Amino acid sequence: MLHLQSSNLLIQKTFTEALEANKSGEPLTFDRIISDFDYTNFHVSNDPENKTQLFLSVRTKAWNSILNCDSNGSQGVLSYLAAKYTKLAGITVAGGSESGFDYTLAIDLNQLTGETIVQLSLLKTNIMSYPFYLAFQEFATLSTQNPTTTTVTVGRFNEETGNVSSIDVSSTLYTIQYRDNENMFIKPSNDRITVIFETFFQDETDKVFGKVFLQEFVDARKRNRDIQSAPQVIFSTEPPLELQNHLPKNNEVNDEASKRFITFVLFPRHFANDELQFKTVSQLTLFRNYFHYHIKCSKAYMHSRMRYRVDTFVKVLNRAKIDEDDEENGNTETKRTITGRKMVY
Amino acid sequence: MSYLNNPAVVMDNGTGLTKLGFAGNDSPSWIFPTAIATSQGNSTASKKMTTNSTSGSNVTGSGNPYFGNSTSATSFNNLNSSMLLSNNLAGKRGTEDLDFYIGNEALIASQGPSYSLSYPIKHGQVENWDHMERFWENSIFKYLRTEPEDHFFLLTEPPLNPPENREQVAEIFFESFNCAGLYIAVQAVLALAASWTSSKVTDRSLTGTVIDSGDGVTHVIPVAEGFVIGSAIKNIPIAGRDITLFIQQLLRERGEADTSLRTAERIKQEYCYVCPDIVKEFNKFDKNPDKFAQFIVENQEKTQKKVVDVAYERFLAPEIFFNPEIASSDFLTPLPTIVDHTIQACPIDVRKALYNNIVLSGGSTMFKDFGRRLQRDLKGIVNNRIALSEQLSGTKSTGVDVSVISHRKQRNAVWFGGSLLAQTAEFKSYCHTKQDYDEYGPEIVRNFSLFNMV
Ligand SMILES: Nc1ncnc2c1ncn2[C@@H]1O[C@H](COP(=O)(O)OP(=O)(O)OP(=O)(O)O)[C@@H](O)[C@H]1O
Ligand SMILES: [Mg+2]
Repeated sequence: MLHLQSSNLLIQKTFTEALEANKSGEPLTFDRIISDFDYTNFHVSNDPENKTQLFLSVRTKAWNSILNCDSNGSQGVLSYLAAKYTKLAGITVAGGSESGFDYTLAIDLNQLTGETIVQLSLLKTNIMSYPFYLAFQEFATLSTQNPTTTTVTVGRFNEETGNVSSIDVSSTLYTIQYRDNENMFIKPSNDRITVIFETFFQDETDKVFGKVFLQEFVDARKRNRDIQSAPQVIFSTEPPLELQNHLPKNNEVNDEASKRFITFVLFPRHFANDELQFKTVSQLTLFRNYFHYHIKCSKAYMHSRMRYRVDTFVKVLNRAKIDEDDEENGNTETKRTITGRKMVY
Repeated sequence: MSYLNNPAVVMDNGTGLTKLGFAGNDSPSWIFPTAIATSQGNSTASKKMTTNSTSGSNVTGSGNPYFGNSTSATSFNNLNSSMLLSNNLAGKRGTEDLDFYIGNEALIASQGPSYSLSYPIKHGQVENWDHMERFWENSIFKYLRTEPEDHFFLLTEPPLNPPENREQVAEIFFESFNCAGLYIAVQAVLALAASWTSSKVTDRSLTGTVIDSGDGVTHVIPVAEGFVIGSAIKNIPIAGRDITLFIQQLLRERGEADTSLRTAERIKQEYCYVCPDIVKEFNKFDKNPDKFAQFIVENQEKTQKKVVDVAYERFLAPEIFFNPEIASSDFLTPLPTIVDHTIQACPIDVRKALYNNIVLSGGSTMFKDFGRRLQRDLKGIVNNRIALSEQLSGTKSTGVDVSVISHRKQRNAVWFGGSLLAQTAEFKSYCHTKQDYDEYGPEIVRNFSLFNMV
């Protein structure tokens, strides 16, 4: 398993079970918790009166910051999700979200299909994709505007990147606070969208592995011609320019010191159509998990190498052991010559 | 510290089946074989399989390796390797250690030439730590989709697990996975906790005798106030797999059309029951032929049907527990006698409580009337002894209550008990955390404080 899937297998399994039980005429009773990365929990439950009516509720840490992405308030994300889901057979948006959860969908088992189940399992990805969707839209307006007029009103010159003489940067910066110490930032501009991840390691070993990996993201693109079309990746220990006016200053100092930043630069070719957009977004939203998953896999690999090493050492040690047969025979006084032969009296 | 409201992860890795899920749920989210299929390294057989991370072409249908809970550790319905999502690692050097499958996928992958199957747990104890570590890695990230840093974990261990094994587990969970906190519970204690759901259980005590019979071995474990009385534990080398093999042997002797292990296992799970008396049962079968059943084996495409007769094995197979001599020549003590010996080996002041609360757990105790037969036989033994001592001493005994408890959660009792305990508010305070581990090292997991639930 090299990649993590963007869909949640357990949601698929649960709904497939529900669907089949319903088809066979004995609907199941559900009250189950399902979890996902980054403090995301789902709850699958029945309507108490009607067992063919299921609810899927989600609660995710990123929710509040996603609501704040839209200047028009929370309606934006709600109607975005509603548009995605209500077009599918059997799904409606529940009147209010279940208490303790952020968003609830109601599912009618009699109309549910396999394709719809896949969409349900992508609920978290879809929620996370909203700020990206806003960024794509903003990109579309910015890129059609005349650059010279916008610079005055919203822009700020970016001289650092160098490859473009000057870019206009809109003042919008979408922040997704998806973990305690790590945020994701999305910044649209007139020719690119920049996605920046803060990374933070609780564990010292991880920090070392993480550094190697992050550097590798940058280097792999330089080395390998086949992936030249992949987004450019920049790794920095300082907050990139895009963030400098935005980062809250009150962060603890030691926190700040161990933070690293990784920047993906998306060009229009990475989000030209819906399919590409979905692919880009689902991979970016899983980036942090993918990254940490591989750190863990590498550690597991190191462990297996270490075990192998220890085993060979133990074998060597065992060779030096004296045969215990003689002792078992009660003959504890066997003496050996220096070459290992037994002394015979 | 916002992992506070994340549910704890409960994992019960058994010899045959692994039960995974979240605390608070009433059943495991995943039940699949504790099997791993690893790539055989040098093989160049590149399977061309289409990968599409979001495709759900075969979402419905019980043939999908991801869906439906397993009841068998060795077979999976409709094996067909094209159903796997490819690992898609061909041509990526240096990632061989990621080229493996677990669970049902492993069974399927091992049908092909490039993977070999192995079971990392033998007789309840982990034998191959490399495989186990990767098995966990995949369980956590692919099946449970959790970031271990954000969750507490409850793992289970068999009785008399060496402390070194615990330390290994701790090393893997804290060092590889950085899990937030860890609790390792003895399976028997969790099985006792699971029995609290039974209406027969009135006081929630952690005292009782647990009979845990899974795939590889059957344990009889006395527990007093949450402490396992290690010196009295007894093993019986008869469990699920032996019963399946016994059925297979009977099928072969009769020359049935299909004698595969899979058929034998399904017959075991669907038709077998425990009878009160074998001689009478034989007579019943002879007088009343509709007791014989027929089991229909369909092949993958559902084009051919084979009919397998199911005869005396319906009651003979589980009878192995009560009369081991019918299947084995070296182990001859019946289960009720073993239970009696176990309890007699315990301190005298807890014996009554141990007879009083005999709890069943594990897949191989699922046979119909298993508990009833055990209770009857055990009562017989106990009453004989009381009669004898009354006769010898001339005093009247107050009697001993023998009660065997079977309940609805019995099959995955260990997991369920874990789920019950891990959802309590106190659970996290019983865990060792990553900070503790970093401070003291692996030997910290040699001791866990016991849950006191009363
Ligand atoms: N309804 C049933 N009737 C009889 N046997 C069953 C039934 N369901 C499952 N089994 C058997 O139970 C066994 C699996 O039980 P379980 O999951 O408790 O074992 P385990 O935890 O993997 O093993 P262990 O506890 O020994 O390490 C299998 O051999 C399976 O065939
Ligand atoms: Mg078990």
